[in-house]
Amino acid sequence: MSILVAQVFRPDVRHGAALKGCATALAIVASLSFVACNRGGTTTSGRPRVAFVLKTLNSPFFNDMQRGAEDAAKKLGVDLVVQAADREIDVERQMQIIENLLQTGINALCLTPSGSREVVPAVVKANRANIPVVIVDTRLDPAASSEAGAKIASFTGSDNYEGGRIAGRFITSASGGRAKVAVLEGIPGHETGDSRLRGFRDAVKDTPDVQIVASQTANWERDQGFNVFQNMLQAHPDVDTVFACNDMMALGAIEAIRAAGKSGKIRVVGFDAVDDARKAIEDGTMAASVAQFPDEMGRVAVENAVHALRGEAVPPDVRVRIELVTKK
Amino acid sequence: MLTAASQARRQAEGQARGQTGIQARAGLRFRGAGRRFGTLAGLVGLCLLLWILTPHFLTVANALNVMEQTSINAIVAVGMTYVIVSGGIDLSVGSLLALSGVVLAEALKSGWPAPFAVAASFGVGAAAGLANGLGIALGRLPPFIMTLGMMSVARGAALLVTDGRPVSGFSSGFRSLATGHVLGVPSPIVFTLAIYAAAALVLSRTRFGRYVYGIGGNEEATRLSGVEVRFHKTIVYGVSGLTSAIAALLLTARLNSAQPIAGINYELDAIAATVIGGTSLTGGEGSLGGTIVGALIMGVLRNGLNLLGVSSFLQQLVIGAVIIAAVLVDLMLKEKRG
Repeated sequence: MSILVAQVFRPDVRHGAALKGCATALAIVASLSFVACNRGGTTTSGRPRVAFVLKTLNSPFFNDMQRGAEDAAKKLGVDLVVQAADREIDVERQMQIIENLLQTGINALCLTPSGSREVVPAVVKANRANIPVVIVDTRLDPAASSEAGAKIASFTGSDNYEGGRIAGRFITSASGGRAKVAVLEGIPGHETGDSRLRGFRDAVKDTPDVQIVASQTANWERDQGFNVFQNMLQAHPDVDTVFACNDMMALGAIEAIRAAGKSGKIRVVGFDAVDDARKAIEDGTMAASVAQFPDEMGRVAVENAVHALRGEAVPPDVRVRIELVTKK
Repeated sequence: MLTAASQARRQAEGQARGQTGIQARAGLRFRGAGRRFGTLAGLVGLCLLLWILTPHFLTVANALNVMEQTSINAIVAVGMTYVIVSGGIDLSVGSLLALSGVVLAEALKSGWPAPFAVAASFGVGAAAGLANGLGIALGRLPPFIMTLGMMSVARGAALLVTDGRPVSGFSSGFRSLATGHVLGVPSPIVFTLAIYAAAALVLSRTRFGRYVYGIGGNEEATRLSGVEVRFHKTIVYGVSGLTSAIAALLLTARLNSAQPIAGINYELDAIAATVIGGTSLTGGEGSLGGTIVGALIMGVLRNGLNLLGVSSFLQQLVIGAVIIAAVLVDLMLKEKRG
């Protein structure tokens, strides 16, 4: 191959430009050869190939989901390709990834939508390629998908609304029905965060002394959770409870509480029960977190995808269990 | 007060500088062609390599797929090329894309006929771009600062207009702007080619285009040769706002949704495409032909890494390395030339 490259970009051509092309090409060759040696796991083995497109890979939640999916793939004897955009909110990139994977002739697609409406065109493309689509974690927008005629084989996820209610009930009982709550919301328009928030609000609305004094988005992120909650504390120094729609934002809020010297005085409830959150609960800096089981979601999704591609019946809607984690 | 003599001298001086400017430009254009060939060679090499590595790469369907995916970055990069050639930078393109996208979506949602909604969206994009230009040309703000401010202003405006939520669900007629085909070619590709043809013509064949190179190469000399630099600079940023709005139109139709958080980091992709394409960050040289090849290199690389099933983390590493390598080689060659 390097001979080929050398012939195509003869370095003796007069202007340096060809040299540049040559060097650029070599840089690309070098990095891709490195890549080619490192990929593994996606060889053409004649086994069915299942693609799992996550929202992101830099979150423990999705790492767990990936692990569950890989276990299931190994057991079922299928090849699994896991891909994700760099950023959780990058819907356009997620769509590109799906389009690109469809080019490789995958046999089934598991997808955690970065946008409930925006990925619908990509699901339609998968439908056209005649492969089963299993949606995981975040539901497609029903209106958008029925309008576009998008079809899915199955949905697997937690009942986020119920999770929000569990958190709300916990705060009501732990505070004795008297709390000033600051809420850290997820990205607006995300079905998961919206459902958690609705569940939470519904659970506390009948207890008049549990008041939501501030509610702002911190875009699912830890550093934003820190900053947003710090600002909330400025405006509402009497806040005694935080409900964050995910643990990342809750952990950010915990740091802000520490910085304000209020550790132990503010009750923090998160969502997802990631490892760091479980540690914080054991340390006593966090009161509770609603546990989801992303590894189970990943496992069930791959199983259903494989069943669907074999033409077997799959349950259209799988609710993975949720539970509240508190200090033992 | 200037005497007639000194005025005449200054004029002559200006003409003389203008003259050298033109000679220099002729040289640059020649070198520009060489550079373009260099970048093109890089693209061809990359394609050859992917063709060897995966059977899925070199198919008609995938080629169209890559070009379609590249179109949005490529269109944003048109305005970016104008701006960078003029010696500036525009960090606000991603936010302007989001703002013009949500303006378009809200207008469509409130029942405006599509042509009016599109005109309103283009108007907002171009106006925000012109505001950038005014701040830079009249207010003497560094382009980095002005467009950094606009990046936040436009993002905030987009979030305000929509209350932070995506606006979605449009008629199939509107969506076909991005999902339709012209003679079997996906329409985003047709749009992109048409925009590049027009924009390249303006940049290389019109007086305005020559002034853009002049301003980037030597702003003072260009001003002394009687060019209204401030006016032309302002227009350049207006063009960038407009191309962001055009990209927003395609993105909105493609996703059937306009998001106020769309376009984050798109300025970096556009800058990367422009610079890989051989446009100098110090201004005065570059071409749209190079930029489209730069955008394709990024698009092909992302596509190829997906096809190969490479880990998402490794993908970021490789893309970053290629950007650095391309620009590094470019700089080294420039030094060699003196």
